[in-house]
Amino acid sequence: MTFRGKAGIYAIAVLLRLVLFFAFPGLPDLLTGRVEISTPVTSFKRLEEGLFLYNHNVWPYDGGVYHQAPLLLPLFSLLPDSTSWPIFTPLLYILIDLLSADALVKIAASGEAGKSRLFTSPRRGKGSTGLVIAAAFLFNPLTIASCVGRTTSVFTNCAILYAIAKAVQGFSFHAMVALSFASYLSMYPVLLLPPLVLLAYDRRASQKTSALKFSALNVLVVAGCLSVLLGMSYALTGNSWEFLARTYGIQLTLTDLTPTVGLWWYFFIEMFDSFRSFFLALFWLHLASYVGGLSIRLRTQPLAALAVLLGIFSIFKPYPSISDASLFLGLFSLYTHLLPLMRYTYVASATLMYASFLGPAFYHLWIYAGSGNANFFYAITLVWSLGQSLLVSDLTFAVLRDEWEVERPEMVGKEAKQI
Amino acid sequence: MSRLLSSALSLRRDPRMLKAPPYLSFACILIGLIWLLVLPLDEYSRRTYISENALLPGQVHTYFGGSEQHVFRAYKEEVAALSGKDTHEINNNIEEILKGFGVKVGRQSYTYGAAGGAHSGENVYGILQAPRGDATEAIVLVCPWKTIDGSENRVGVALSLTLARYFKRWSLWSKDIILLFPPEPKVGTQAWVDAYHDAHDPRHVSPLPLKSGALQGALAIDYPSDHHFSTLHIIYDGVNGQLPNLDLINAVGWIAGNQMGIPSFIQGQYDHQNSYQDRLRTIFRGMLSQGLGNVAGAHSSFIPYHVDAVTLQPWGMGHQDEMAMGRVIEGSFRSLNNLLEHLHQSFFFYLLMSRDRFVSIGTYLPSAMLLAANFTIMAIFLWVKSGQAPKSKGDNSKEKTTALDTSNTVERDMLLPAAIVAGSHALGMIPLFIFNRLPGDVLPHAFAIFSGISIVLPLIVSHLLTSFYKPTVQQSQLTKSFSLLVLGLSLSTLATLNFSLSFIIGLLATPLSFVQPTKSQPLRWAFAALLSLIAPPTIAYTAAMAAGADVGDLLRDASFGWNVLGVYTPVAIWGVWWPAWTVGTVNVLGFAAA
Repeated sequence: MTFRGKAGIYAIAVLLRLVLFFAFPGLPDLLTGRVEISTPVTSFKRLEEGLFLYNHNVWPYDGGVYHQAPLLLPLFSLLPDSTSWPIFTPLLYILIDLLSADALVKIAASGEAGKSRLFTSPRRGKGSTGLVIAAAFLFNPLTIASCVGRTTSVFTNCAILYAIAKAVQGFSFHAMVALSFASYLSMYPVLLLPPLVLLAYDRRASQKTSALKFSALNVLVVAGCLSVLLGMSYALTGNSWEFLARTYGIQLTLTDLTPTVGLWWYFFIEMFDSFRSFFLALFWLHLASYVGGLSIRLRTQPLAALAVLLGIFSIFKPYPSISDASLFLGLFSLYTHLLPLMRYTYVASATLMYASFLGPAFYHLWIYAGSGNANFFYAITLVWSLGQSLLVSDLTFAVLRDEWEVERPEMVGKEAKQI
Repeated sequence: MSRLLSSALSLRRDPRMLKAPPYLSFACILIGLIWLLVLPLDEYSRRTYISENALLPGQVHTYFGGSEQHVFRAYKEEVAALSGKDTHEINNNIEEILKGFGVKVGRQSYTYGAAGGAHSGENVYGILQAPRGDATEAIVLVCPWKTIDGSENRVGVALSLTLARYFKRWSLWSKDIILLFPPEPKVGTQAWVDAYHDAHDPRHVSPLPLKSGALQGALAIDYPSDHHFSTLHIIYDGVNGQLPNLDLINAVGWIAGNQMGIPSFIQGQYDHQNSYQDRLRTIFRGMLSQGLGNVAGAHSSFIPYHVDAVTLQPWGMGHQDEMAMGRVIEGSFRSLNNLLEHLHQSFFFYLLMSRDRFVSIGTYLPSAMLLAANFTIMAIFLWVKSGQAPKSKGDNSKEKTTALDTSNTVERDMLLPAAIVAGSHALGMIPLFIFNRLPGDVLPHAFAIFSGISIVLPLIVSHLLTSFYKPTVQQSQLTKSFSLLVLGLSLSTLATLNFSLSFIIGLLATPLSFVQPTKSQPLRWAFAALLSLIAPPTIAYTAAMAAGADVGDLLRDASFGWNVLGVYTPVAIWGVWWPAWTVGTVNVLGFAAA
């Protein structure tokens, strides 16, 4: 990869985003208002509301609109006023996108996707270069839409990618700090801790520390980091722990039932109240249950476990958006050398494309034209989730098949039968 | 289950499966067409019925008549005296009359620019406050000074004024009644409805000084002639092919037919014999007007705001007088007045084949979806085909079975095909932009030039392709696959928003599924000739000729629709259809044959 190529890709990506931000002045606000992009816990509009309250010395959670981490507020109030200096917020978001892409380039450069400590894929030579992966991430319409829609999940995505990149490079401390930031912002990334520790362990610089000691140390780092962040938030929100219920509590109890591209909102609208807590526990248990299983089954390839987990989270987490899908697709592109082993890539991508066309159309029929109803949009979110789960299961299949073909060389090219 | 799955998977490997898709896709088109043709049969359509119980059409006695006739004659004289005056003077007089019987009056001016011309005017409207309501809901009586044909809506205006004076005396209204007098049916209503919902552009349209509650329904009167009439024409198409709730059409039709004895008809089919041909013709007329998406009358602008509305147009020579028309409107307003909530019970998606028969979306949608599915099937087929290694002659049967194995999939070079498809869609933005920005008198020339370029462009692109890239068979298949995939998914999305537009474009684009590069040069040019017959510009010229209009008028209407009414038909044409056609033609001319 040449530096010129990389710089060129980044420059085009920046230019494209700047054009979208400034040549179409109505576009950022339009995208910010879309439910596919902005969820109650990542919406920029809600952030502005919280920011307004914060700058006027009102407790930011008082409006009942803002559900995001408290430390975002001082960060954004550092930026010059967005009405008189509209350039800085876009620049921040573009920078974050570039950092994410750079992290992806580093992950790709390490070759971890093809050759980990315990497993070497026979196909590793056929993968895409870091340049292609960065371009695929930066020019993915979903990434661009979430950047221009200014959702705060791009910060989480960047922190997750940075954590993985650092873990791959062997800096486990940095990785854990980055993961703590991601978890602090969105909570669900804390579930990525086990595979990330495994990844960091596999790629650690010194081989002296024992596995147990290594993981205990890393968990301690995350715990310490999170307590510092939460402590700062405590001090920032007027020495009260109330913010926990207003940020993570909302995600845990799903009190805001705004439609998203996920599966939760409709389910919990329809649910009788007496079953609510049971199903909440069940949904969260379901989400968390993948972590252990995948970390064990994909022990030889922790990066694959991370990619699959992120795909699963972008389907099943409480407030998913297309920005989560863009993160998964970014990691998915690390595994292009497994494409020949996948079976439904075309069907899955056609399904995703169908869903991304029909979703806005059905939302329009429901909300604006009044001739449809909520079932229209929900049906499409089901299709969207189906497309993503096809992709996730196909990736899992390909990763496992790749391992299997190394164990059983005589089966290469033969059909696998489900038993 | 697993056995079923694996047998389904082994079916995938069957070489016969790879032969089927083109036939399957042709069958989809055929079934889709036949589907539409059988809709008028009794077995597939239903009689209309009123599903909102609160409407209670025709359950009240209407009292409009008697001495109101004298009032009507007086107003008719007043309106006749205003004939030919300018809008401001007319509005002054209407305002004076409305204020005379105690109605609050507001005025609103507007100026729109489209196709280089300015459309400006001033609306005058009065709000008759409901004695029993709290101004949270309102129904609208629209009476443009000009009719749809452009003649003066004299009887209509006089009748509206009489009705307003008459309604004012009744104490039973629970919803406000708004009387709107725009200077002409298209622009004025649009400006008023936009401003009523605060969705107007303040640079062109001034805000409304007076407002009432949420609009529950609207009736427009289109009544120019002075003589007695025989039937009632109900016009119901909205902007962008959206339709009013079927209950409204039924209720008005029911009141006219069963209470007043005035038969009604739709889509200009006044001599409807209820035969198969007449039903089909009505459906086709409805689909054409829905597909174009332009305004059909003063009511059209209301429908995008979820306000159900129809235009009533007296028709023919008969023995029904203005008072009967007034009673139809009175009865309809009494029905709307009964509504407890917004009309929602009945259908929003339907095709009417006569005043009292319809098919609902569940029955007709499959035809457009099948047309769209044909493109997707071909896209998947070509994708699979492009992944197979080209067969060499020396294969024996054993090797053939493994030829379809996953591991033998050849790598696909997707960059060039994706670039061609993305590039042609990006090019589509150019005609979209220029035809909506150019002034009206340049439009026909610009379109002629564009048509020329549009025909030559595929030739140039394919010449460049063959001389610089030497594209492979696989790239040709992938280009077609991507293009058809985008076409299929755009059309199926469009089918949910505007069924007719999607069906029409789908039908005109069907040859794109089947034309492919061939080795024989004459056949190749024959394909290109066939494609240029179904090119968007060719169709535009043909359509304009068939309608007896100039292509300039068509373009001016389209530009007006885009700029003033927010019609998105041009996006579907220049952003979906034209790029698909261009890629199809490039594919035939510029790529190697299999």
